[in-house]
Amino acid sequence: MALYDVAIIGAGPAGMTAAIYAARANLQVLLLDKLAPGGQIVNTFEIQNYTGMGTINGAELAIKMFEHTLELGVNFDYGTVTEIQSEGHVKKLLCEEGHLFEAKAVIIATGTKPRMLGVPGELNFAGTTISWCAICDGPHYRNKKVIVIGGGNSAVEEAIYLAGLAEEVTIVTLFDLTADPLACEKLRSLPNVKIYEYYDILEFIGEDKFAGLKAKSTKTDEEITVLADGAFEYIGLKPTAEAFKDLGILNDYGYIEADACMATKVPGIYGAGDIISKHLRQVITACSDGAIAAQSVAKYIEKLNV
Amino acid sequence: MAVTVREINGEELEQVIRQGKALVDFYSKTCGPCKMLGFVLKDVAKSVDDVEIVLVDFDVNKEAVEKYGVESYPTMIVFNDGQEVTRVKGLQQKPKIVQMIS
Repeated sequence: MALYDVAIIGAGPAGMTAAIYAARANLQVLLLDKLAPGGQIVNTFEIQNYTGMGTINGAELAIKMFEHTLELGVNFDYGTVTEIQSEGHVKKLLCEEGHLFEAKAVIIATGTKPRMLGVPGELNFAGTTISWCAICDGPHYRNKKVIVIGGGNSAVEEAIYLAGLAEEVTIVTLFDLTADPLACEKLRSLPNVKIYEYYDILEFIGEDKFAGLKAKSTKTDEEITVLADGAFEYIGLKPTAEAFKDLGILNDYGYIEADACMATKVPGIYGAGDIISKHLRQVITACSDGAIAAQSVAKYIEKLNV
Repeated sequence: MAVTVREINGEELEQVIRQGKALVDFYSKTCGPCKMLGFVLKDVAKSVDDVEIVLVDFDVNKEAVEKYGVESYPTMIVFNDGQEVTRVKGLQQKPKIVQMIS
């Protein structure tokens, strides 16, 4: 079995940048992803703050990054890592698909995934009539009724998009609208949009078919039933870190604690991108983390080889 | 013969799926996962034989979308001699798509 210098888990902007920097440091690099290159940016319609790119579609930026990565000789493979065994100077990566990979160092760049409400009825409809991608699943609701859950930037932007398709869009949010004020103003002005602020979702309703949800006001205790054909949830993100909890490198919120060099407390294991505890989660900061992690790995490997 | 990925319209779709195996990807030009899936399908094409891989624009070919009950994009449907064999919604990893075809 090949022993890579570094295995990078997650081929989003952090992972791909780490792979580029590690390959340029003459390391043997394995880049793994469970789905496809890009991570969360594949779902981003337009990125307008990645220096030098002006406005670029997220998937198009992901493809450019991936082609750049492959040009440098990085080995890319598909794998869902379920466990890292840290045995001295060799890290073993066990994958759900049955593969086993070995590397001297590991950079974890698995990012985040959409948070779910965890209320009754949600799992019955998740992935069908409860969705996290308005661009993908919105067309199904042309001239139908949909619910958008959440009040942040994603919720408000996607609700505006859905209002252009659906007969009626109902926003239900635990707090008030916290998105960009101009976007909130636009949403409030749309004639086919209803907004329920300070409502806690109690359950999704419907036997065989999605029917809507029940919610309760956190201010008046009033209970409401919102009938609709489908729902979109935008209530934040959570770290994709279940596979790494036994390493003792996660904080109370499930994010990886990494230092300024992106090192965790386990020698040879690094974190980068949205998965680490940090203040600003953006494409450009993920890339920065990836670059720093790869440089730190190069120094770690150099010491191992002395 | 090398497999290529090509775009077709709803009328051509009927011809393509009539005989042999075909993977049809209903996509939209505005959808990020669709763009990435198109990129992945080009890689899939290098690993498979005896299959047509075609893209059908969801937003343009409404009759085909309705006929095959496509509700969202991307949606991939594998046909064998005109019969639907399997369908899957959303972006998928290359090994799973290769497995769907084989």
